[in-house]
Amino acid sequence: MRKLLDGVYIGSGLLSAGLIAAICLLVTGQVLLNLITKFGPFDVNLTIPSYADFAGYMLAASSFLALAYTLTRGGHIRVTMLLNTVPARLRLVSEVACLALGAATAGFASYYMYLLTHESFEFGDMSSGIIAIPLYIPQSVVCAGLVILTGALIDLTVRTVRAGRPMLIQTSTE
Amino acid sequence: MSDLVAIFILFATLLVLLGAGVWVAFALMLTGALGMLLLSNAPIGPILATTLWGHSTSWALAALPMFILMGEILLRSRLSQDMFTGLSPWLRRLPGRLLHVNVFGCAIFAAVSGSSAATAATIGKMSVPELKERGYPTNMVLGTLAGSATLGLLIPPSIILIVYGVATEQSIARLFVAGILPGLMLVAMFSAYVIGYALLFPSRIPGDEEDMPLMDRIRASGRLVPVLLLIAGVIGSIYLGIASPTDAAAVGVVLSVVLAWANGSLSWAMLRDSLMGATVTSCMIAFILVGAAFLSVSMGFTGIPRHLAAWIAEMQLSPYALLAALTVLFVVLGCFLDGISVVVLTTSIIMPMILEAGIDPLWFGIYLVIVVEMSQITPPVGFNLFVIQGLTGFDILRVARAALPFFLLLLLAVALITVFPGIATYLPSLMGN
Amino acid sequence: ADWDMPTPYPDATFHTVNINQFADDIRNATDGGLNITVHSAGSLIKHGEIKNAVRGGQVQIGEFFLSLLANEDAAYGVDSQPFVATSYDDAKKLWDAQKPVITELLARQKLVPLYAVPWPPQGLYTNKEIATVDDLKGLKFRSYNAALEKFASLAGAAPTQVEVPDIPQAFSTGQVEAMITSPSTGANGKAWDYVSHYTPINAWVPKNIVVVNKAAFEALDEATRSAVLEAAAAAEARGWEMSMKETDVQTAVLKENGMSVVEPSAELLEGLMKIGEQMQAEWQDSASEQAKSIVADFAK
Ligand code: NA
Ligand code: NA
Repeated sequence: MRKLLDGVYIGSGLLSAGLIAAICLLVTGQVLLNLITKFGPFDVNLTIPSYADFAGYMLAASSFLALAYTLTRGGHIRVTMLLNTVPARLRLVSEVACLALGAATAGFASYYMYLLTHESFEFGDMSSGIIAIPLYIPQSVVCAGLVILTGALIDLTVRTVRAGRPMLIQTSTE
Repeated sequence: MSDLVAIFILFATLLVLLGAGVWVAFALMLTGALGMLLLSNAPIGPILATTLWGHSTSWALAALPMFILMGEILLRSRLSQDMFTGLSPWLRRLPGRLLHVNVFGCAIFAAVSGSSAATAATIGKMSVPELKERGYPTNMVLGTLAGSATLGLLIPPSIILIVYGVATEQSIARLFVAGILPGLMLVAMFSAYVIGYALLFPSRIPGDEEDMPLMDRIRASGRLVPVLLLIAGVIGSIYLGIASPTDAAAVGVVLSVVLAWANGSLSWAMLRDSLMGATVTSCMIAFILVGAAFLSVSMGFTGIPRHLAAWIAEMQLSPYALLAALTVLFVVLGCFLDGISVVVLTTSIIMPMILEAGIDPLWFGIYLVIVVEMSQITPPVGFNLFVIQGLTGFDILRVARAALPFFLLLLLAVALITVFPGIATYLPSLMGN
Repeated sequence: ADWDMPTPYPDATFHTVNINQFADDIRNATDGGLNITVHSAGSLIKHGEIKNAVRGGQVQIGEFFLSLLANEDAAYGVDSQPFVATSYDDAKKLWDAQKPVITELLARQKLVPLYAVPWPPQGLYTNKEIATVDDLKGLKFRSYNAALEKFASLAGAAPTQVEVPDIPQAFSTGQVEAMITSPSTGANGKAWDYVSHYTPINAWVPKNIVVVNKAAFEALDEATRSAVLEAAAAAEARGWEMSMKETDVQTAVLKENGMSVVEPSAELLEGLMKIGEQMQAEWQDSASEQAKSIVADFAK
């Protein structure tokens, strides 16, 4: 189970990184085509249709898929200055409360993102650009990212309570 | 419930959540949800979902992960180290030495990127480790970076000037041109502050290596060539007409990979580490951005910013008093909302006031950007603070303290362009009507 | 009741001016019984999400660019098909044919259309004079939807994608060399800063539409509902007038600021019409039955 969960966090992180690489490649492709159109010897029209739409949707997918991976690596920003001044016992209570509150918020967001995706599928919502992209496709990925984040927060809450000490690595220097 | 009571409850909630260590994005979402619960009948869940989706797909935002990736690659390829080694003999005699790299580095990068978060992330990734290793004082390293990165908004291209230009039907080309002189003025002011600091506390600036003969200096400068090529390539791709400002970020990634390959530091492991690092940083920023967007949408439903602006409008102030009142309003709102939201939420009320007071809307755009720049470095919600905490691990409150002098310098800049409006309006006036 | 109304365009745009008047009319007619807060310039909900936000009841009423939905059903996009309806009279006739079909389509999304107002007829912005279709050959032509991409290709131009905020810079650097938009959009964006020639080819007359959430509308009492419908009818009539006036005023603004406003030559129009016909023939193959019925009805 432990291995499976960690695998999911890392897997979604890798997928997210792959999407960033894909955005780079897509945009680079378009710039190269612009270069060829401008300075190349051929009289051609070269564009990747709806590349800005695709880049935007991949960006959304990437941002949300990386949520859990970023969380487990201590990448999300929080203010720790005050927490570092309180006794360890209170620190632990506060950590559990933050994790539980985060899990609840992420769960709430996941549920409504699911409803939005479902509605978008039912009504056949489409992007408005040159290529019609059904919106439920990128929205499902966003929803999946939120669900994985919710899972990671619940997982961390349980582990923190069991271990009796904060589990997340602290990036704070002071 | 009266607005003032609601504002007090919301501010207190946000502060308690942040102070207790709740992640910034969640704290913003929860405060937004509470605002809607208190002051509006709008359905919270569906609006949260719409905002999370609608604000995460923007094309302009796509430049962010790419620029961050470029910074990661430069850091891991020793190119950033080379840049500091190459610059250091030239800055020997300038009090403050390599601290100026933060100021000028941000100014140059600002000419490529429209966002201050991307500027802070990219320049900071390279400069913070170098400057800390050379023993520069932490306060100044963090402060110059946080302050100078706000130039990303003023020096064109600028996302916020585009938002303002579209919302108020001002020419974006003119706004961009209007931002140039105030941008250079701020560069000079930041640099002057660094010089002043170095003259006051010479012992805090680390001593450099021996003075080099000119020929050696030039030889050392050879190390600057790759970085200069990179900057030229990215800016050049825009002005050759083969890349939009967002496209240019991809050009930056490709060029940094090529340069890393040329100096022999390119490997799969290095690329993978850069990509994973960029994934974490851009996810962190994107998550806070959507959280901030939700708080901002919630404020739109509650009407609080609108009511505050309308309250100022009712006072019928003289132009100078009006600007002073608006500055206070924007600084206060800017502590809790991100800068672009402040502009979006208040323009409908504020623009008629500005026009009635006879204030030039073009000038006002530049004024607004400088005020918004301040909001990037005021706690608790300041994007440069978040980015720099992400880079360095120093808490946002610590970074905000280091950035305080630069906040005051920005305030001084507002006063200067108010007294000498020509700083903003002279260049665009050369463009004809 | 208190309603929130997101709209995509800024306060000074005549569509938004008209909507503010519409909201005031309703407020007065109902003695403040229905109070609509207008959130302009996408400040509450972004343009692309407005339709869905009204559908989901997140807001009760909203405005959007009708042919933004053309990918969902071609019926929404008939007003943005090049050279189908090119004058206000034609546009009116097309809207009469389109309205019943759109009403039915929107009803499936729990939406009720209140009124639609056209933009001024779309003209051509370039940095040289365009006398014939051949002059468009090889120009980088801004295309943001499938119809425009097709149009650019048929004209021998290179369809290029440029996002709205990048337009001035893209023209200045030659990344784009031609675009089609209304004189309003051109004048509001100070097009003379980056482009020299305007040719009013009246390519099409697209519309913005105001829709209301069905449940929210039906929750109003009888008197308020008729006040809304009355104000909507007035706003539609007023909006069409405003649009016509806007065409002359903003074209004059372009001229005053030094742009060459060149009436299209007969040769150019003839060439463009031919492209329009070709597009229409291809469109017939792929369009939905509803969409085709609109065009057939219009052609009568
Ligand atoms: Na910039
Ligand atoms: Na702030």
